[in-house]
Amino acid sequence: MDAFGGPIWSMTASPSGSQLLIGCEDGSVKLFQITSDKIQFERNFDRQKSRILSLSWHPSGTHIAAGSIDYISVFDVKSGSATHKMIVDRRYMGVSKRKCIIWGVTFLSDGTVISVDSAGKVQFWDSATGTLVKSHLIANADVQSIAVSDQEDSFVVGTAEGTVFHFQLVSVTSNSNEKQWVRTKPFQHHTHDVRAVAHSPTALISGGTDTHLVIRPLMEKVEVKNYDAALRKITFPHRRLISCSKKRHLLLFQFAHHLELWRLGSTVATGKNGDILPLSKNADHLLQLKTKGPENIICSSISPCGSWIACSTASRFFLYRLSYERDSISLQRVPKMPAFLRSALQILFSEDSTKLFVASNQGSLHIIQLSEGCFKHLHTFQPQSETVEAMCLLAVSPDGNWLAASGTSAGVRIYGLKELKPHCTVPAYNFPVTALGIAPNTNNLVIAHSDQQVFEYSIPDKQYTEWSRAIQKQGFHHLWLQRDTPITHISFHPKRPMHILLHDAYMFCIIDKSLPLPNDKTLLYNPLSLTNESDVIRRRTAHAFKISKKYKPLLFMELLDERTLVAVERPLDDIIAQLPPPIKKKKFGT
Amino acid sequence: MVQLRPRASCTPAEADAMVDEGQPASEEVAEHGLLLGQPSSGAAAEPLEEDEEGDDESDDEAPEELTFASAQAEAREEERRVRETARRDKILLKEKRKRREELFIEQKKRKLLPDAVLEKLTTTSQTNIKKSPGKLKEEFDFSVDLQKKHEGHDKGSDSKKAGTQKVQPGSQNKSYVALRLKDQDLRDARQQAAKAFIQNSLYGPGTNRMTVNKFLSLANKRLPVKRAAAQFLNNTWGAQKKQNAKRFKRRWMFRKMKASGRVNGS
Repeated sequence: MDAFGGPIWSMTASPSGSQLLIGCEDGSVKLFQITSDKIQFERNFDRQKSRILSLSWHPSGTHIAAGSIDYISVFDVKSGSATHKMIVDRRYMGVSKRKCIIWGVTFLSDGTVISVDSAGKVQFWDSATGTLVKSHLIANADVQSIAVSDQEDSFVVGTAEGTVFHFQLVSVTSNSNEKQWVRTKPFQHHTHDVRAVAHSPTALISGGTDTHLVIRPLMEKVEVKNYDAALRKITFPHRRLISCSKKRHLLLFQFAHHLELWRLGSTVATGKNGDILPLSKNADHLLQLKTKGPENIICSSISPCGSWIACSTASRFFLYRLSYERDSISLQRVPKMPAFLRSALQILFSEDSTKLFVASNQGSLHIIQLSEGCFKHLHTFQPQSETVEAMCLLAVSPDGNWLAASGTSAGVRIYGLKELKPHCTVPAYNFPVTALGIAPNTNNLVIAHSDQQVFEYSIPDKQYTEWSRAIQKQGFHHLWLQRDTPITHISFHPKRPMHILLHDAYMFCIIDKSLPLPNDKTLLYNPLSLTNESDVIRRRTAHAFKISKKYKPLLFMELLDERTLVAVERPLDDIIAQLPPPIKKKKFGT
Repeated sequence: MVQLRPRASCTPAEADAMVDEGQPASEEVAEHGLLLGQPSSGAAAEPLEEDEEGDDESDDEAPEELTFASAQAEAREEERRVRETARRDKILLKEKRKRREELFIEQKKRKLLPDAVLEKLTTTSQTNIKKSPGKLKEEFDFSVDLQKKHEGHDKGSDSKKAGTQKVQPGSQNKSYVALRLKDQDLRDARQQAAKAFIQNSLYGPGTNRMTVNKFLSLANKRLPVKRAAAQFLNNTWGAQKKQNAKRFKRRWMFRKMKASGRVNGS
């Protein structure tokens, strides 16, 4: 719906959750009523001179603070008129030509308004009198975000230099009641602007232009000081963005607004272990599919035979049929996809490419039968519980009999595809699933969770396998459990049922179920020098987890056929080279 | 009764003026202008005297005798001529105005849509209002300009570019949304202003930013093992040259192979 005020700069919901405030480009603040089925416009507040960039409600819902350019206004919600207009200095105790942009405001329950602006100041205002109480100059560049904790005794701000500051309300002397806001901790974990911060009860979360999400637990709030209390820096997504067509050696890359289809190069040369062979045929960029409009692509997939591409955005579902003639490729869109396929969370093709499985964001699972250029809706599995489960992963068995689907709360549900009926459910685990895979002949479902646990469940027997029980009893190696990134893909060797292939962002691992399991004392990451040792020593120290850290950061790894493995790396430098410019910082010695 | 003053210096011209139209009026004005323009060294009677004197200087004859009848005839002629010119002027002006009006009507007609489409618009909009006011409608593409402006607006208009055919809205059965272009201009202007604002405030002049190249180079300089500054290459530079070199290399290799083959074979 159109708010008719131009581009919207800020939005905030009232503490009660029934009203919504919007700050627009033309300087108007609009109030909307939120009902169960729609959002309705209620009224406009007094129109201001320049665009409203930040808004904040008082916890009681009676006043709001609106930050604009060079001033902050305090409005009374009942009347809609501005009670105070607080002019902000353009520079800390100085004059400047550049206007001061108020990037964030927060209204505390005692009437204090905290504002952060583009001059690098954090200022405390008294909303009852409309005056400045205290001003802190913390940076030479903009301070772009602010977040307050629930108890209102600490808040965090993020600056354009990449620094995150923590402010706390501490008493002036150790036994006095008077408190004041003090800047306690600076954190420099980002290189570019920090555009958003959040304050959870135990951690400070910041994210910005340099694509990292940093979670910094606050030591005084953390109960148990273990590995969980360390800094977490999340760089790569925890989902699979690349699909592979094994038969035709094609890779489909999913970007935010377009898809790219590449054919892998090939080589006829041979060499020994560790050589890099020259390509006889280069990788080929076959296709680029762009979406018009502002929506992101949620998920995409290519069928194993390479003839179908499916992708989903929030409002549309696209299915394409590809045909290959000698060297060229032609694309044809399948029209009139049904509406219930929109905003699908996961798309998967069956191994023989005749069926399409779509997990929708309402919790239901749709099965579509594909044939020459057209489709037929076969069946829909409705969600069993009342709650709508958001995240969903799918896995299908290579023989086409079983389909596994995971949600957030309940365990992994397994459906039988021959009778189109639910088969069983894996017992629930309190950590979410990050990867699913079904082995070819044994139909064992391998589940990887976010706390680095790996389970193996036998679908025909409806119970955990022996190997899974053994490793649960012994427990994983402590280094395995301390890995930062989750496992995002599981694949299998067609001829070796004892091998499970998994990878996360910094390693890939082949689990050999026939070898003994490592205990905490053995070396988890086998050093390279071991290959030169004698056979006896190797056999003694060999264990089930064969880990290689050769390719990192790894986005995708898959077994193409029995002798070929494809791995896709995404170097961080490439990403940094495409980022917007950071603030200039003078470093000693440069 | 008007007593015409003798105009000795202008008598030969008067005969010509009888044939020419519009001149006598201007001549009178000019005459008056002449008389008024002369340095006023005396009363108004003086110029008359001067004239007469001038007359006397050129001709020693007595001034002409003008009968009343001829003077009256002349006066009537003058009036008629003036009336004629006024009427003709009016007619010309009228014609000009008429032509202008027609031109305006023509232009207005051209600006409006063809009648058939307008009819359809009015009738279908009425029926649509009766049916379902809140339904989202597709776009009706009857003009290229409108289509271009509405690309960002309609939710349903996103579609993949490669290889798909554009849906031809030739049929009149489709529903549509008619928008004023003025609204779209205002919206576009506001969006442009907002984009320019955010770009200027974060990355514009006055912000202390350094390039990514410099940022990466600084990182190299601060490593424990110092490395050279980062340099961004332009892979598309000299593409034609590189292609030519590749082709030449292939041809040269082929020639070499052939030559060595011949040597080996023979």
